[in-house]
Formats: sequence, structure tokens, C-alpha cells
Amino acid sequence: MLVIVKSGPDTAEGKRGVKLARDMAADLVLIQNGAYFAQQERLGGYCGRAYVLADDIRLRGVKESEMEMNIRIIDYANFVDLMSENDKVVGMF
Amino acid sequence: MGKTFTLLLSTSPYLYENTVTAVRIAESALSKGHTVNLIASGDGVYCFLQRQKAKGIANAEEEFSRLIQKGLKVYL
Amino acid sequence: MSKIAMILRRAPYGDINAAEAVRHALGGVSEDIKVSLIMVDAGVLLTRKGQDDTGTGFTNLGDTLKDCIDMGVEVYADKVSLREQNMESEEMVDGVKIINGAEIAAIVNEAKTTMIF
Repeated sequence: MLVIVKSGPDTAEGKRGVKLARDMAADLVLIQNGAYFAQQERLGGYCGRAYVLADDIRLRGVKESEMEMNIRIIDYANFVDLMSENDKVVGMF
Repeated sequence: MGKTFTLLLSTSPYLYENTVTAVRIAESALSKGHTVNLIASGDGVYCFLQRQKAKGIANAEEEFSRLIQKGLKVYL
Repeated sequence: MSKIAMILRRAPYGDINAAEAVRHALGGVSEDIKVSLIMVDAGVLLTRKGQDDTGTGFTNLGDTLKDCIDMGVEVYADKVSLREQNMESEEMVDGVKIINGAEIAAIVNEAKTTMIF
């Protein structure tokens, strides 16, 4: 399962999406303002596989050096592949 | 084998980033040979008005017109 | 000279508010209005250095914020909000002043009109 989060860490929607991903042991894709979740120590207890959209972190000036180490940077082609590989896609929060 | 993506777009064209997100996902999925449907709901229908003049941000009319040519199926 | 305070509460790009705030701030100073642009909550993320719009179709709002400063807009960021958003002062574009709640209140009090984005 894949959960997509487009809202920032300061929003109830964003927090809800990350919590759902954690509770369901789903993979997580961070886009739009959700990209700020890729910064260090933003994902709380989430320990699954997380991805962030390259365009959306670059646009916001978030550098790789300030990102959580295990978060993978993807482009739209990778994102589409992830959605087609997962049997269920939930979001966008 | 190609899959089917169905996107729900329910926000007006220029208030949120959703328009660009939908365009980029649809474009990428179409280029990989997937079938892409887009259902416009609520204010999402305004993305498909003619004679939009937006500059400095992706013009919804131009972007979606281009994708419809590439096979995007839009339902209002 | 009339004064306008503009308060930006939203992070850039996710919605149009940051783009509209800087657009109207530039409009204000070009009409000889004194504009104070105050960023609070996720709005402070607009001050981040290194925003790169290449290939995204967006206007670079970090550059537009610098234009605001160059054109004479007084640009402020709320200290508490910066801390909540994990922003360090060296990550901010030059020319943004860090202020506290009492200082924000004084600016809003002094302005004839306040616009909230």
C-alpha cells in the first residue's frame, strides 16, 4: 500500500497521512508541502520506506543535506511506477 | 501491461498546486502507456474553461488541452 | 504616506497565497505605499534560500521576495514560527528581519490596513 501526503508537517491533514502510513505499514510518498516532512526528524515514528518528489523539494529550497538519510528522491516517472506497482494507493492527504 | 489511473481533481486551477501535480502525473503515466482518466469535480471543472490567461504558473487550459491530445480522458 | 501590513500564513507553492502576497507587496511599493510583509506560521518557509523553480512551471517566489526587499518592502519573519518550522537564520535570504509577537502587533497597529494571505 502507498500513502501520498501533499500537506505540510504543520497541518492536521499531513499528520493524519503520515500516521495512517505508519499504522498500516504502508510506503509513503511526499509531494507538494508534504516535501517538508523529508527534513530530519519530521516523520516521528514512521519507519517504513519514504519517497519525496524531486521537483517539490527543489522548488522549496530543501537541500539533500538536511533530509532524513533513508528518504529516496524520485521523479514523476518513478512516482507513476510506484502507484502502478502498489495494489492500493491512498491519498492525497 | 498498461494500467488505468483515475485522478480526481476538485480544486480550482490556480489556488492550489494540485493542478500541476495532476498534469505531471497524467503526463508521465500517459508517456508510459497507461490509460489516464481525470474526473473534474466541484471547482475542478474550472480547469477546463476556454480562454484562460494565466501566466507565471502552469496554464490549466493549455496543459490539459495538450494532454487530451495525448489521450487523457476527461470527465466533468 | 499610507501603510499596509500584509500577513502571510501559508507555505509557498502549495497554494497561491505566498505568490499573491509578494505580488501585492510589490504593487503596493510601486504605488508609494509603505508595505510591511510579515511572515508567520508556515509562511516563514518563503524566506528559505535556494528555491529552484527550474522545469516546474512555477515562478521562483524566493527571488520575488528578494525583489520585494530590493524595492523597499519591509520584510519580517516571526521568531516563534521560524523555530516551529526548523528554520535557522543562515537558511534565510538576506534582508529579512526576525521579530517577536509584540513587534508584529506594533506594525499591525500602525498600519492603516492589514491584508491576510
